[in-house]
Amino acid sequence: MKPFFSTLRARQLNGYVCQTCTRQLRRKPQRRSYASTSSRTPEIFDVVCVGGGPAGLSLLAALRANPITSTLKIALIESQSLTPTRTFSPSPDSFSNRCSSLTPSSVRFLSDIGAWKFVRGERVQGYGQMRVWDGVSGAAVHFDAFGGAEKEKRDEGGVVAYMNENVNLTAALLRRVEELGGVEILDGERVEDITLGREAEEGDLSQWPVVKLSGGRELAARLLVGADGANSPVRGFAGIESTGWDYGRVGLVATLCMEGEGEAEGRVKTAYQRFLPTGPVACLPLPGKFSTLVWSTTPELAAKLKSLSPRDFVGMVNAAFRLGVVDLKYLHTLEGGQEEEAAWREDHVGFDGSKIPQRVVGVQDGSIASFPLKLRHADTYIGERVALVGDAAHTTHPLAGQGLNAGQGDVESLARTIEYAVAHGMDIGVRMSLEQYMAERYVKNHVLLGVVDKLHKLYSVESGPLVGLRSLGLGAVDALEPVKAFFMRQAAGTGKIL
Amino acid sequence: MAMAMATPLRPTSLRNLHLLLRTAPRFVHNQFGSHNTSTNSSSVNPTEVSHFNALASTWWDPHGSSRLLHLMNPLRHDFIHRCHGMQPVPPPSANLRYLDIGCGGGIFAESAARLTGTGLVTAIDPSPEVLGVAQAHARRDPGLSGKLSYLNTSIEGLAKPGSVEEQYDVLSLFEVIEHITHPAEFLDACQEYVKPGGWIVMSTIARTWTSWFTTKLVAEDLVGIVPRGTHDWGKYINEEELRGYFLEKRGWNSPMVMGVVYVPGLGWKEVSGSEKVGNYFFGIRKDENGEFEIGAKSVVWGH
Repeated sequence: MKPFFSTLRARQLNGYVCQTCTRQLRRKPQRRSYASTSSRTPEIFDVVCVGGGPAGLSLLAALRANPITSTLKIALIESQSLTPTRTFSPSPDSFSNRCSSLTPSSVRFLSDIGAWKFVRGERVQGYGQMRVWDGVSGAAVHFDAFGGAEKEKRDEGGVVAYMNENVNLTAALLRRVEELGGVEILDGERVEDITLGREAEEGDLSQWPVVKLSGGRELAARLLVGADGANSPVRGFAGIESTGWDYGRVGLVATLCMEGEGEAEGRVKTAYQRFLPTGPVACLPLPGKFSTLVWSTTPELAAKLKSLSPRDFVGMVNAAFRLGVVDLKYLHTLEGGQEEEAAWREDHVGFDGSKIPQRVVGVQDGSIASFPLKLRHADTYIGERVALVGDAAHTTHPLAGQGLNAGQGDVESLARTIEYAVAHGMDIGVRMSLEQYMAERYVKNHVLLGVVDKLHKLYSVESGPLVGLRSLGLGAVDALEPVKAFFMRQAAGTGKIL
Repeated sequence: MAMAMATPLRPTSLRNLHLLLRTAPRFVHNQFGSHNTSTNSSSVNPTEVSHFNALASTWWDPHGSSRLLHLMNPLRHDFIHRCHGMQPVPPPSANLRYLDIGCGGGIFAESAARLTGTGLVTAIDPSPEVLGVAQAHARRDPGLSGKLSYLNTSIEGLAKPGSVEEQYDVLSLFEVIEHITHPAEFLDACQEYVKPGGWIVMSTIARTWTSWFTTKLVAEDLVGIVPRGTHDWGKYINEEELRGYFLEKRGWNSPMVMGVVYVPGLGWKEVSGSEKVGNYFFGIRKDENGEFEIGAKSVVWGH
């Protein structure tokens, strides 16, 4: 297994460097485990997908829904039990704190594979605009102001994205996969080991990954798909490095109850995001009076916020969208009483109530949680008989709400690549068959990760010339149609080249 | 021609370039011109066999000398699909039989065997080394067992079909005909293996100044993406020669042609009209009401 860049380098140099030297360039440590203690003959599958999250399940639904790929023998391995997902029966008065925004192109893909019809529509909230502003300078950018041409990229209701609970999506995908049938679902089974198979009488599996499960079964995979998240064991097996950095920030999430339902009935709602020096804070609409909070901040401040009484937590969230950076800093130092302190300060700060989210009146019990924010990008998405999708391939800062959508884009591309391979008699596991997937997704995701990363870093600066420049920058972004169109295309997932 | 000698891959030198220019085409001759053949002759050219023996080890390296063939393989299926699409009645959706002549490392043969509509692929090649590579590679895919059989033989050594059931729906000659010394006799030998209503499909290179420039000078000598000595420009055959050969024979219909061009960075692309100047696919269908000849006796059948 050669890391992508060294392969690329060796290939590019082929014409210019003598054979011996290119051969040396290619000589990279082999990371695959060659230890093979298997005593039995593994069961043979065309696709073994490790990970039953949104990316893995939508890949299986896509493959099963397509008559060309429906002949493949497929297995799903998920370490958690899928029973809670299967029996998802939520109360209308509560929402999960793990929500994602789905772009119209993700929704179109989910409809194409027949899964969207199982998503509980009453728990999905479309939004038509995103108000984003700089917490330090106050400069604003209106994501809805993006020219006539961009309006066509929205769906008929004028929606730029949909807020949805992740579990609502996975439950729908699982229903679709089970409706289509033909997938061997092995949930509650841990991957104990992945090794290469053996050469035996009946065939040579020495290049095939064999997945050993905690229950004792062994599955040989023509194509092993890693949809197994940021710490992907499949990626580890393939020896694919994942590089990046930790932001030193956590994403604090919570389900909020607002004072009203938001924008007038029948109209789509608005999403809000304010860039604070500690990271962006976003309030994203859910159905009814609910919203979901994603507050990127330092681990210390997140711990502090989690320790507050619900009343003071609500006060801090309201303040985060209303008060100045200095006020917020002071509020973070208090042991309690943030609610009163913030209310008192609000009277002395000018803000335009029409441009910020409604007032938060409550936080759902037990919904406050946090997770570390990282940027990671795998060196390649493909190896011999291995493909990575979703978080196993890349993780991004949530400020653009693109993580899950990037994963759906991966899956759509990989499913199309596999379809082409099957229709042309190619072995779907070999690197050559997977090259198209890599070509379609890698640069696209790389640009997305880069833009999101730069935005995060740009707005982490509290004072100095950069603040003036970036307000100028956002002002310019607001004025320049092409640049706005670029950001909007990325947000709506309709970008052509990038 | 001197360039047909099997020579290992090596960097271009001025001497080679000079040699190549010296052997450049001076006139275009038709390969289907008459010549005397002894009854025991084989279609296989020993120089060609030794050349491909030398290439055997890199056949399945996707970044090796056969990369262009790997990249072209999907187009072969697209072309066969297009030929089948021409039929008034589509071919059966299951149990199609393929005979791949000059299968090399098995790039096409394996892929044909993987298709859901395939019943059996028989693949033959005269080079034992290359066939060894094909057989070893096929073992790496347990899904192929029972659907793909390799034989180390030329068409002359292959058992004649004893019945329609033993004939083939698709007889493929991919990048083969330009390596054959006497193509007309070779094609004569191929015909009885094809079922009535079945197809001969092939791909090759037109014999033009352009193809000499791209396949000999640029691909083999200057850029080196094709191993030196792979092609003998003098053996290239033009599409109208193939068309003329089959239509003159009677019993064949629906000639199909598709010109393709390799665009660096994009791969193989269909370019209408390019069959006149470079790589192209050619397909022709056997009449459905044909005669099945076994030795002296002949059987006539209808639909």
